[in-house]
Amino acid sequence: MLFRSCVIVVASPRPRVGKTLLSRLLTDFHFQEGRSVAAFDLNAGKDALAAFLPERVIQSAIDGLKGQMALFDRLIADDGITTKIVDIGHASFESFFMLAHRFGFAGEARSRRIGFAILYLLTPDPSSVEAYRSLRSQFPEVVLVPVHNENFGVAQHRKRYGLTGIASVIRLPQLAPAVRKYVETPPFSFTDPRLAALDMDVDIELQHWLRRIYLEFRELDLRILLTDLKASIGPLIPTAP
Amino acid sequence: MAKPAVFLIGADKGGVGKTTVARTLLDYFGARQVPTRAFDTESPRGTLKRFHPDVTEVVDVTSAPDQMRIFDTLGSADAKVTVIDVRAGLLSSTLQALSDIGFIELGKTGQITFAVFHILGPSIASLEEIAETSRFIGDANHFLVKNHINEAPFFEWDPATYQSYFKKIKDAHEITIPKLNEMAYEQVDVAAVPYASFVANKNAKGEVANYSFVLRGYVRHWLGQVWREYDRVKLLDLVSPKSENSLRQVAG
Repeated sequence: MLFRSCVIVVASPRPRVGKTLLSRLLTDFHFQEGRSVAAFDLNAGKDALAAFLPERVIQSAIDGLKGQMALFDRLIADDGITTKIVDIGHASFESFFMLAHRFGFAGEARSRRIGFAILYLLTPDPSSVEAYRSLRSQFPEVVLVPVHNENFGVAQHRKRYGLTGIASVIRLPQLAPAVRKYVETPPFSFTDPRLAALDMDVDIELQHWLRRIYLEFRELDLRILLTDLKASIGPLIPTAP
Repeated sequence: MAKPAVFLIGADKGGVGKTTVARTLLDYFGARQVPTRAFDTESPRGTLKRFHPDVTEVVDVTSAPDQMRIFDTLGSADAKVTVIDVRAGLLSSTLQALSDIGFIELGKTGQITFAVFHILGPSIASLEEIAETSRFIGDANHFLVKNHINEAPFFEWDPATYQSYFKKIKDAHEITIPKLNEMAYEQVDVAAVPYASFVANKNAKGEVANYSFVLRGYVRHWLGQVWREYDRVKLLDLVSPKSENSLRQVAG
């Protein structure tokens, strides 16, 4: 089996941990890779994903049936869009995953050859640790990827989150203050050709930062592909009697 | 070998969701590979038959020939489970007729399994039927089905009223059917397929359909809740002895 498309959900039960920045980067990365991409924003406000990438983002809400249909039905639709990014925002965290679990989203995605990955921003608070564990047990076959936003320091989360063995963490490197003022002012796209007109030091710093992140995203692509392969050859691998 | 089982689904009051419950029962037994047939007494047109045409016959339960079609074939039919969806207003008279022909007595002697699903809506008029119907039921398996067709709480806020109806019949089991989202309900109605087919995104011909994933999700969750209620009251034990169930589980 080969996934025909992929849904990537960016999540954390905590506000202001870098979900929207990560969603923006993912959206632009997939666009630059030549894929058709759509992003769905469950946040509202001036710093929301839709404010940064108005042309690629669909404002969504899941507090009513029509909004749920507009989002979930579109996520599984065979509409030619190969990558769908969902920035669920902390306020919708619980209801999004409750609905996804209740509707059997992971199974439906798999049956339609859609890869499903959750990128989870790590924070040290116990409620986030508990929410991560809960996601892992509710969605055991989903690619659940911990993300460490180094803009909030170099705290080690492995032990706290029980990330043992080869469980690798995506690192969102620290952003230099000189670059931050451009990046954090909407609208802003990392694919905007006008970025070349930035001050040379800023541009070099930004490109260096993006290269590191995009390398992590390529590894994520491989991880989703590996999950697909494992699922495909799983029945062929003999199991112990 | 399992003895024949008859599930009578009914209420004297209309609009309480009898056919909805009958449909969930057919889906429940179907999912567990229990061969089941159904009789729809909304003669000449049948609502149940619209959703389960392959296993449903429309009959007039008050006529002797149709009573023979149902009850004289219990032992010979391939399906050992018979579900009868009794039209509104006919529950008491149907029970009276079954009593008159000695059918309820057969249940008492253990030759058949007889269960009554009395569907209740959240109104005093509906609850007042309980005493009337329980008069006939005797030792049969009696299920008081609280069907939440709206948000009303079945008088649970008033323990005196609640207990005066639900606790009076000591051997009756309560089953709670939660409310299904209206839009999901209507979508299944339009699709005219069993709930289980809707959840599986299949049309009446068994082909892949294009129902809303979200609406299917609502039905899936709701049907799961209903089936958990049926598991809780051990419905499967009524239609096949425990040893058969165990064997089936071991066989996978």
